[in-house]
Amino acid sequence: MARIGWVLLAAAAAAVPVFTANTYYLYVVVSAGLLTVVTAGLNVLVGFSGQTSLGHAGFYAIGAYTAALLTVRAGWSPWLAVLAAILVSALVGAGVAGAALRVSGPYLAMVTIAFGIIVESILVEWVSVTGGPGGIFNIPKPPLSRYYWVVVGAAALALWLVGNLRRSAWGRAFLAVRGSDVAAESLGLSAYYVRIMAFTVSAGFAGAAGGMFIFLNGYVSPDSFTLQTSILFLLALLFGGEGTVAGPAIGSLILAILPELLTSLADYRLILYGGLLMCSIYWLPAGVVGAFRRKGSGEPAAERPPTRDAPAASLGLDRDGDGDGKTMLLQVEGVSLSFGGVAALADVSVTIPAHGIHAVIGPNGAGKTTLLNALSGYYAPDAGAIRLGGQEIAGRPPYAIARRGVARTFQTAQVFGELSVLENVAVGIAGPRLGGVVPALLGLPSTRRKEVETRRSALALLELAGLSDWADRPADALPAGFRRRLEIVRALARRPRFLLLDEPAAGLSPTEVKDLDAHLTALARGGGPAIVLVEHHMDLVMAVSDQISVLDYGRVIASGAPEAVRSHPAVIEAYLGVAA
Amino acid sequence: MYGLVALGYHITWATSRTMNFSQGHTVMAGAVVAYGFFVGLGWPLLPACVATLLCLAAFGAAIERLAVRPFFRAASPAWLLSTIACGIITENVAMLFFGKDARAFPSPLTQRPILVGGAGFYLQELLIPVVGFLLMGGVQLFYHRTAYGKQLKAVAWNPEAAGLMGIHIPRAVMSAYVLSALLAGVAGILLAPILNVAATMGTIIGLKAFAVAIIGGLTSAPGIVVAGLGYGLVESFVAGYISTGAREIVGFALVILVLIVRPWGLLGSRPTRRV
Repeated sequence: MARIGWVLLAAAAAAVPVFTANTYYLYVVVSAGLLTVVTAGLNVLVGFSGQTSLGHAGFYAIGAYTAALLTVRAGWSPWLAVLAAILVSALVGAGVAGAALRVSGPYLAMVTIAFGIIVESILVEWVSVTGGPGGIFNIPKPPLSRYYWVVVGAAALALWLVGNLRRSAWGRAFLAVRGSDVAAESLGLSAYYVRIMAFTVSAGFAGAAGGMFIFLNGYVSPDSFTLQTSILFLLALLFGGEGTVAGPAIGSLILAILPELLTSLADYRLILYGGLLMCSIYWLPAGVVGAFRRKGSGEPAAERPPTRDAPAASLGLDRDGDGDGKTMLLQVEGVSLSFGGVAALADVSVTIPAHGIHAVIGPNGAGKTTLLNALSGYYAPDAGAIRLGGQEIAGRPPYAIARRGVARTFQTAQVFGELSVLENVAVGIAGPRLGGVVPALLGLPSTRRKEVETRRSALALLELAGLSDWADRPADALPAGFRRRLEIVRALARRPRFLLLDEPAAGLSPTEVKDLDAHLTALARGGGPAIVLVEHHMDLVMAVSDQISVLDYGRVIASGAPEAVRSHPAVIEAYLGVAA
Repeated sequence: MYGLVALGYHITWATSRTMNFSQGHTVMAGAVVAYGFFVGLGWPLLPACVATLLCLAAFGAAIERLAVRPFFRAASPAWLLSTIACGIITENVAMLFFGKDARAFPSPLTQRPILVGGAGFYLQELLIPVVGFLLMGGVQLFYHRTAYGKQLKAVAWNPEAAGLMGIHIPRAVMSAYVLSALLAGVAGILLAPILNVAATMGTIIGLKAFAVAIIGGLTSAPGIVVAGLGYGLVESFVAGYISTGAREIVGFALVILVLIVRPWGLLGSRPTRRV
């Protein structure tokens, strides 16, 4: 179905110049093509990484003026000039992103608006270079009938590149950061860096379109790069369908043609755009393409029970050990952390060996999850030290700690909903090793080979966890218990040294808990990562733990083997409220 | 003077973690409506102002109902886009009624400039920071001293819990939007005599006010007012000593600097990350 659509679109694009030599129609299609290039790139930012930019007219302008100056003043060939336009816009994009992406959401949108307006006012003010309000003239102008094919080809290329990117490790990283940046960081991805890359790629695409835009008219002036242009870009994308590969093409086509049909209503153009924007937000949240896309092929036929007897231990084996794995300790020394005067952790010291299962228990609000958050970098302790293999990690960002071999799960399972179950695991397998973004765009053989490999190991992991029937379904569709399992598999895919589990048994049925019990034990005995288990389920804790630390009011009140802790007077008091 | 507009962002942000991205257009609406009553219909100043504020209150309520409430709980930035959509529609409507040209707004306080050491300024320009500080004080008192203000703050922290405590959330959010639109209306009326009234005046005002809100800290009313004053001073210095063209560029650079050093603003509170 999707393929037929593409063939139709290509046939239509090819048919236009055959049936008409009317430059007006060619012009409209070329405009749609340029718009497609911009929105395809914007899709990477908005549709994949989930950030909004209202300043892409700025990058479009930078591309246009770079190409114009190079062809007119320096006499470069148009092809080289467009290439330079892409590079310059991408570079500026990276710079702007570096500053703007320290914030996200509404802040980012406003900063990008400001960026667009600054670019526009520089174009107007810096007369000696940009020609001021009049712009730059005498740009070589190829015949439209030939240029038509260049732009249509570029639009097709843009869509193909973005399609490749979506299927690469980068594409998954973008969607992972959008889905849950907290979870993405626990897998070693720096959300900041990943978003900067998305922004840079989209700026490069806008620059390409801007560079090609100037050869259409033969001149360029600041009028083409207002805030309205940026809004138009975003509107075309949202209307077509953000996050889909075809959306940008459809949205661009509609928005290039629509104003031409309604030329008599030129005074109402903003109302039209605004109205269209409202309509697509209200009724077409997934855009035209999303509305037409059919639903996936239902549930898997039968829920296969997880392969219980599978050698779960092999999940954590064959970690790329560097020799010191055996002696590596996770040490917490005198860590204190308080929130607004309430001490969540007070002088906590625990040493977690490189093997076995270490449980952390305690009444509600005792600081268990806070301890995990401090260990994995989400909270920086006010005082004290956390050392991993002798190196201080307290206060380091989560992704940096994750890269040193600490993986974790969350109290409420954080799966990347828009990615398939298999892709979720693939994010874990790749971790921060995403490869180059250019090979990913081009879909080079080396990237593809790596993809096949990643897919195979992800499938193997899912097989062990009994999730292989769900592999290609969106993670959103998973029932709660399976989500938790997926989260653990994803963390294990990182081949961590330490695995921090935050209440993995919460909400599981008794059989599922037993299952978890078996898996954890197998994992720990089979040379897998050391496990730090925060859990309320006493049966589970007592059954699997090698060592238990008990927290109460942020203090460690007891620590030792399960039997010893069970009969420790302070523990009994904390749990039962009776003085022993 | 930007502080006054920026306070409008603060109010809705402090209540709903959303804001009207077209706050600048709301200011424009205030100026245009005031012009309509005062000059167009020839009403006396006071009734014209009151009528303008009534219109703006309705406008704020409409924005909330149409553009914010449907998307309040959605994690997506849909409210951001829908308020922008409302803004551009407002601009176009204003343009249809008002025309494309800027018009002067006569005010008794801009008749003759007062000269102080060679620099001339109007009483009107003095009025703006005074009103700004008064309103900021009012907003602070409202949020910290009255039960209703505290309710609005509660909604921001945890809408679910606030709802369970019997706070009518949609009404709370709507009040914040009405209040914010009223501030924009006041700003519109005060700015009209200085800037001239035009349908296109909204974007740049809204943008600068947002810059001020970022610099001062979206969560801090005093920070915003101080930043607004500072921003205005820096702007007029740059315009005076370098060029008017450099004004926007310097302002933008300031925002970037603040974002790099203190993303939560000069006086804002550092957000705690919830995991």
